[in-house]
Amino acid sequence: MLEVRFHGRGGQGAVLASELLAHAAFLDGKWPQSFPFFGVERRGAPVTAYVRIDDRPIALRTSITVPDVVVVLETGLLRTVPVTDGLREGGLLLVNSALPPELIEVPIPVRTATVDATGIARARGLGSPTMPIVNTAMLGALARATGVVSLDAVRGSIVHVPAKPRENREAAADGFAAVRSGEGRHLPVARRAERAPPLPEGPIAAVPSSTLVTSSWRTLRPVIRLEKCTRCNFCWKYCPDDAIELDPSGFPVIREAHCKGCGICAAECPPKTIEMVLDAGARGGWGVR
Amino acid sequence: MAKLTIPAEEYMYPGHAACPGCGAALAMRLLLKGLGPRTIVSMPACCWTVIATPYPTTALATGLLDHPIEATGASISGLRAAADAMGLKDLEIVGFAGDGGTADIGLQSLSGMLERRTDAIYVMYDNEAYMNTGIQRSGSTPAGAWTTTTPVAGASHGKPEPKKDVMGIVRAHHPVYAATLNPSFPEDFLRKVERARGLHGPRFLHVFSPCPPGWKYSSERTIELGRLATDSGIFPLYEVGEDGVLSITRRGGALKPVAEYFRAQGRFAHLTEAEIAAIQAAARANWERLLRLATPPPA
Repeated sequence: MLEVRFHGRGGQGAVLASELLAHAAFLDGKWPQSFPFFGVERRGAPVTAYVRIDDRPIALRTSITVPDVVVVLETGLLRTVPVTDGLREGGLLLVNSALPPELIEVPIPVRTATVDATGIARARGLGSPTMPIVNTAMLGALARATGVVSLDAVRGSIVHVPAKPRENREAAADGFAAVRSGEGRHLPVARRAERAPPLPEGPIAAVPSSTLVTSSWRTLRPVIRLEKCTRCNFCWKYCPDDAIELDPSGFPVIREAHCKGCGICAAECPPKTIEMVLDAGARGGWGVR
Repeated sequence: MAKLTIPAEEYMYPGHAACPGCGAALAMRLLLKGLGPRTIVSMPACCWTVIATPYPTTALATGLLDHPIEATGASISGLRAAADAMGLKDLEIVGFAGDGGTADIGLQSLSGMLERRTDAIYVMYDNEAYMNTGIQRSGSTPAGAWTTTTPVAGASHGKPEPKKDVMGIVRAHHPVYAATLNPSFPEDFLRKVERARGLHGPRFLHVFSPCPPGWKYSSERTIELGRLATDSGIFPLYEVGEDGVLSITRRGGALKPVAEYFRAQGRFAHLTEAEIAAIQAAARANWERLLRLATPPPA
């Protein structure tokens, strides 16, 4: 039995990718199952989905903790989610990145493959330029890097996709052709505690959420042209994330760690001095030095 | 530099887990600006319990209590009793619940709290469906809206039933204060929070809460949609004091057509011109009913 774990962000298509992979395995005559982790439904928040593939019926119904293959739809997740947790020895990490595998930082020594699924999705016009849908290019790459399903089966599974089935099939073939395999750059990093600390007596959550970074969710970020700013403070007033502060003279300053790129400040700015530009994270640079 | 029209102090931390452009996140930020730090917020299962507490952090500089989804009214009654027993007189007790937890599951508890005359503020932030679990219809979902349980397929054409009138139910309990609030109008929002804060007894705030993923619109339009909802009469802004006097707090002259509001949202994309015309008529009738209730009556 082969176990695959997908990591993506809400809205990127990780769950659909897991369903397509299971469908492809079925077309190859295998016994597959796929299901998402039931977490919070948040656009931009980390999402996990699972696929099992076997030559005979699968009785297991649990989530996958010791995967053979981990698929990461966005490199930023390498920094914020322990994606390699439990990855089986000799397993494979497949990452959406334009970089060669040797430049991907990984917390354990692991066979690593990369494919520029974002570039493929953009070239094939999948999703929007700011939110490319990368899942089908990743599936093509997965077929080549693991051999667990055939490219034909992957293409065959891409029938009931929400939009552009032909372009998605082409993206899968592109991913199949472009994937590169190698060894990730092993760089032990400070890891999240393996287990949650024991609950304290008294208040359970005493740490402010401002210690967390939420700007990695965004694809666009606001840029303020201060020379045109009238200091009306509308951007500050309407920010749902408290991600804009006013400096002593009343000019807005974006809290780059917390802005999720919703674009309300740009939409509400009366003199239109705020522009939303593509964030580096959206180009796949996030998480790779 | 323009003067601040709302308090500078922040009691909601950034780094919370709301979706980009979340109306409920802005609503909480504005609410706490008006209430200050001596506040305990009690929440049922809803979007905000997830937003507030990415373990082990909290997004609120105030006290925060999680309670079961049906228990908001009971929880704030209990918190007030405890504060009284401990001699804590300066605490504001706030229930902060979604529309599902208020209009459906927690309705008995809300009614109990109002009837017991609990000295607390009950806030219903209304994103018009069970958004935290993935967009299932609630009693507060408006007619015609797509949700995952009122799909647009086959014989189903969005939600057939109209939105539950929770303000009407609350007003029948004669609270000391009830108001509708919309984060697209922060000054009106803060004035109402501050008015509620100055009173004792049961108070109810119905807060409009646009939801980009649930209503299917692009996140930068949250404020614009809120404005359209009020100015088209879909979500009128008004308040009712203990004497039952109803005042409309934003008139804005002639109502805008509702079509602009509906056409901006994917959840209404399937509606026909005739269906929108029917909604227009209902919105107009609702607005005229409010005008008749308003004191003093308009000339």
